[in-house]
Amino acid sequence: MFSRIFWIARVTFLEALRQRFLAFLLLLAAAFILGSVPLRSIDFGHGELKFLADLGFGALFLFGSILAVVLPAQLLYGEIDNRTALTLLAKPVGRGEFLLGKFFGSWAVLGVFTFALTGLIGIILLVREPDVVARAMALQVVPPEVSVVGLFEHALLQWLRLGIIVSLALLVGSLAQTFLYTVVVGSMAVLASQLVWIAQDTLANPEAVLSTLMRGALWLTTRLFPNLQGYNIGETLVLAQSTVLPGTVSSLCLSAAVYLVLILFLACTAFRRREI
Amino acid sequence: MTDKPAISVQDLTKDFRVGLRGVKLRAVDHLTLSIPRGQVYGLLGPNGCGKSTTLKIVLGLVPATSGSFTLLGHDSASPEARARIGFLPEAPYFHRFLTGRELVRYCARLSGVASNRVDAATDEALELASMTEAGNRRVGTYSKGMLQRIGLAQAVVHDPELIVLDEPTAGVDPVGSAAIGKMIQAMRQRGKTIVLCSHLLGQVEQVCDRIAVMDRGRLVLEGHIDEVLAQRGVHQISVEGLTPAARQAAEEALSSHGAHVLKVDHPRQTLEDLFRRLVTGSRD
Repeated sequence: MFSRIFWIARVTFLEALRQRFLAFLLLLAAAFILGSVPLRSIDFGHGELKFLADLGFGALFLFGSILAVVLPAQLLYGEIDNRTALTLLAKPVGRGEFLLGKFFGSWAVLGVFTFALTGLIGIILLVREPDVVARAMALQVVPPEVSVVGLFEHALLQWLRLGIIVSLALLVGSLAQTFLYTVVVGSMAVLASQLVWIAQDTLANPEAVLSTLMRGALWLTTRLFPNLQGYNIGETLVLAQSTVLPGTVSSLCLSAAVYLVLILFLACTAFRRREI
Repeated sequence: MTDKPAISVQDLTKDFRVGLRGVKLRAVDHLTLSIPRGQVYGLLGPNGCGKSTTLKIVLGLVPATSGSFTLLGHDSASPEARARIGFLPEAPYFHRFLTGRELVRYCARLSGVASNRVDAATDEALELASMTEAGNRRVGTYSKGMLQRIGLAQAVVHDPELIVLDEPTAGVDPVGSAAIGKMIQAMRQRGKTIVLCSHLLGQVEQVCDRIAVMDRGRLVLEGHIDEVLAQRGVHQISVEGLTPAARQAAEEALSSHGAHVLKVDHPRQTLEDLFRRLVTGSRD
């Protein structure tokens, strides 16, 4: 079973690497990140490194999310549309294995995307750090510090977050009949997951006046969608300007693993019933 | 070899729901069919008659509405059964960036070929499909005929007992089509069971032992090719150097025995034979 998943993932990964869409988004995101360097003086008073980190992490998540929704939908539909899936699924390959292969192949591509862009952001931050530290010393304020470990932890969290988005796109794709539907509904699911913290905060607020129906709807939303905003702690991890509670990264990794298992289980169950 | 048929279908029905109102469209209508082992079996019928749907149901790709079926005596969902079949779908499309050899190796791995056998099995399948030389080229550069042949190679790489070919010669020129016909015959000689869906009736007639004809989801004819095509009570004699006098004498002799000559003409070769003879050597 693991061997078949590995081979499907490997071919999926190679196929995705050869698609122009990946190269286009990677170049666009890199251009966006590099383009922030000349604009670093417009830091809105928050400090140059914070400005560069915010823009870089924003570009990483924005373009990574687009890739995480479009890529699996394209790869899944491509194989169903052109009958490659028929050839593969007529072999002793389970539908779950096929879908998991697609997931791991797409996720590996997003790993390359995430770590390549994080590397670029890291280089920019480390190159600018001595100047910013010198200026802070001159002004006798606490200088910011770029944490390489924090950068790695942030990349890992973003990769997990994009993995959740890939699994959501595959879940939608295993139920949907068209590529466009998968992309539109998948994007809406990502948006809802980005905003679910609002529902969580509202429910946790004892002063909020909510009808039973509204409370039920909010509760359901918080249970249906993962809180993707929770993974947005890059600035804290990388610039160490505030303290990250001990265990935060590992608890986020654990929650991502739980979401991945749950969403992929649902996707595999739905895909088993699908007519190819 | 067991006595169980390669494919057994009992009272199989498949309905599709189409449109927003979910109107029922019956693709396969109470089909009962038994495909014996070790033969080339032709499944014929016009477009939309339910051939491909039947094959997809049997291969476990589409659920049946009702009825039962087995594949090599097993449930088609079982990996044991599917490890013993090879399938070439209609108009196959494979990963364009892989070379033919990489594609066949990939399919060998998915089909459960042992790691130490993958290279040898790949070479054998490429050789059977006459794709050894083109095996190192990318699939994206292949002609239609080569795509069908590499499709056949991926279908047989794990040495399956049953090979299902859905329109293997669609869009292929007569020379390529004849090459695929030869491959089918070579596989039959190895004792394989082959199910062939095709619109090329001439080829089906040449390679198939038995045929079934479907129309509107139903089986309308099934039997051994010779029994199905033979015109009972009519005989054909081919002679050379027939003079008018000899012809008259022959007719009189036959007439004295109560037989009547229905037609005397020159035999024709098929256009496909003529074409193949003219263009031999211009293969892909």
